[in-house]
Amino acid sequence: MISRTAPTPDLVQAALAGRRFRLVDSLLAGGLLLSLFSSLLVLITLLADTLRTAAPVFADRGLVFVTAPLSADPAKAGVLQGIQGSLALTLFVMLIGFPLGVSAAIYLEEYATDGGFTRFITANVRNLAGVPSVVYGILGLALFVNLAGGLTNGRTIVSGGLTLTVLVLPIMIITTSEALRSVPATVREASYGVGATKWETIRHHVLPIALPTILTGTVLTVARAFGESAPLLLAGALVTNFFQPSADASVVQLITDERYTALPLVVFNWARQPQEEFVQLTAAAVVVLLVLLVSVNATTILLRDRFEMKSLR
Amino acid sequence: MRRTVGARLVIFVGLVTILAACGGATSAGTDPTANDLPGGPAGSIEVSGSSTVEPITALVQEAFASANPSVGISVEGPGTGDGFARFCAGETSVTDASRPIKASEAETCSAAGIEYVELQIAFDGLTVLTSPENAAIGCLDYHDLYALLGPESEGFDTWADADTLAAELGATHAPYPDVPMVVTAPGEESGTFDTFAELVIADIAEGRGADVTTRPDYSPEANDNVIVNNLSTNPTSLGWVGFAFFVENADMVKAIEIDGGAGCVNPSVESIADGSYPLARPLFIYVKTNDLATNTALIDFIDFYLSDDGIANVSKAGYVALPDDLLNAARSAWESASS
Repeated sequence: MISRTAPTPDLVQAALAGRRFRLVDSLLAGGLLLSLFSSLLVLITLLADTLRTAAPVFADRGLVFVTAPLSADPAKAGVLQGIQGSLALTLFVMLIGFPLGVSAAIYLEEYATDGGFTRFITANVRNLAGVPSVVYGILGLALFVNLAGGLTNGRTIVSGGLTLTVLVLPIMIITTSEALRSVPATVREASYGVGATKWETIRHHVLPIALPTILTGTVLTVARAFGESAPLLLAGALVTNFFQPSADASVVQLITDERYTALPLVVFNWARQPQEEFVQLTAAAVVVLLVLLVSVNATTILLRDRFEMKSLR
Repeated sequence: MRRTVGARLVIFVGLVTILAACGGATSAGTDPTANDLPGGPAGSIEVSGSSTVEPITALVQEAFASANPSVGISVEGPGTGDGFARFCAGETSVTDASRPIKASEAETCSAAGIEYVELQIAFDGLTVLTSPENAAIGCLDYHDLYALLGPESEGFDTWADADTLAAELGATHAPYPDVPMVVTAPGEESGTFDTFAELVIADIAEGRGADVTTRPDYSPEANDNVIVNNLSTNPTSLGWVGFAFFVENADMVKAIEIDGGAGCVNPSVESIADGSYPLARPLFIYVKTNDLATNTALIDFIDFYLSDDGIANVSKAGYVALPDDLLNAARSAWESASS
């Protein structure tokens, strides 16, 4: 039963003939605008303050700050190892997380029969996406650093990368599932209708249509992995004023033998240094982090748009 | 032309790979130059331990690294206790410490077969601070500090609240002014907190049957910069930090002189080095001696640490350099351990 009475023609007439300016409506619109501004204001204040604090560093040292290695001496300190570590971790997430997540989602959506077991798995994946990242850090420490230490060589970038991969996998699976589900059933039926097999249907019809949405999800996932610090702290990334990988090390050794750090951890470490100069350096590192995040996102968005155009053609 | 989904994915992942490789390429670029330099010892040195000592070791490593590019080295500072846990598990070859190894930690080490040598490398002073505007307080002794900050001072909102307890203890500088007392200091996880509790509180608290800790109702702060800031903005504040943080901010806060039984002493590089300032603590590095025979890089690193060039970083990091006799003692201890 609907308790409210439907508007009578009289009411409609009154509304049409009444004043154009309605106080409640404008108050509501004003309030909504204000809530938009309050969140924007915090963001702008934060950005402006960070940029203002960081400005002297970039003015004095320019890009040297980006290419210089970490140092306990604020006049020489740069963020090079942080950038390298963060990009390498992101690469891990892309190379392992993306194929694994998409494959899992294809199985769940296209192959799995809709039984109790599938629903159990789906519900769990959704719950996992909401687990705080620090919990994944503990998992990474127990699983990749300690238990599988023989394979990952302990506190290396392999362990950190795998930890972040596990962290983003549920989000990857959920967004891919949603993308696959949004492909109209008629597309599949038409494909089956002309005699295509299940895999041919998925590969040539379902995936191309779903791909732009899948890649949007990937952008969000990569951004998440890029900015994470808590899981890396636990999985053994360095929080340090200085470290040097051996110059003799090959690329494989750099990944499997040497310690690493990431940009968010550089920010964290610098914020607690005694010297006053590190306040500016911290802000400058935040700026580098933001610029990198935006450029990684922009690259993936550009690529996505390219695929989107292709698949429409 | 339609590319297949597979091909597109390869391109997508590939482009991101290139993006990431741009960052990696810079480090790979140092490879060829390494071969041109005089061959340093290969190997790796991982240092963990005290966050107080970390800045010194980081500076030493940095100076060492430029001459020895083939040695992989790292330092971090989770805390002295965590450092010994990793050291005795054989995960690190050097550990920084802001206190001597505990008996329980030494047992863990010997059970794991880890042999080590203890080398004192510097002094750190604990400075009790207030605002420069607080002219009424210039010097305090241990009884004063116990009355103001000890476990029995819980609930004292003004300095004068501590008068009764101070009189009972026989504190020299009571009675105190009747002004609000706002305490900001390092949290309980900090080695600086431990040192304060051990040096100042322990003896008096044990005599009175109280716990060896400070009052619980103060603002604990992990970031020493925040402590200094809080102390400087409140005219009747009280707190303590490590000497290096005081030196960096000497214009913002006032160090209170400490009377350890032999008169009031101002914390300074001189008074800490000659032992006349009572709230001083030694800083150490512990070196694993098991694998000195195989890890020549480690020998070179500690040799450099104790050399004049290496040990000069102690003052650079804001700590107090060892007097000659203690430095020579450390050098000969290392000499006999490494030969």
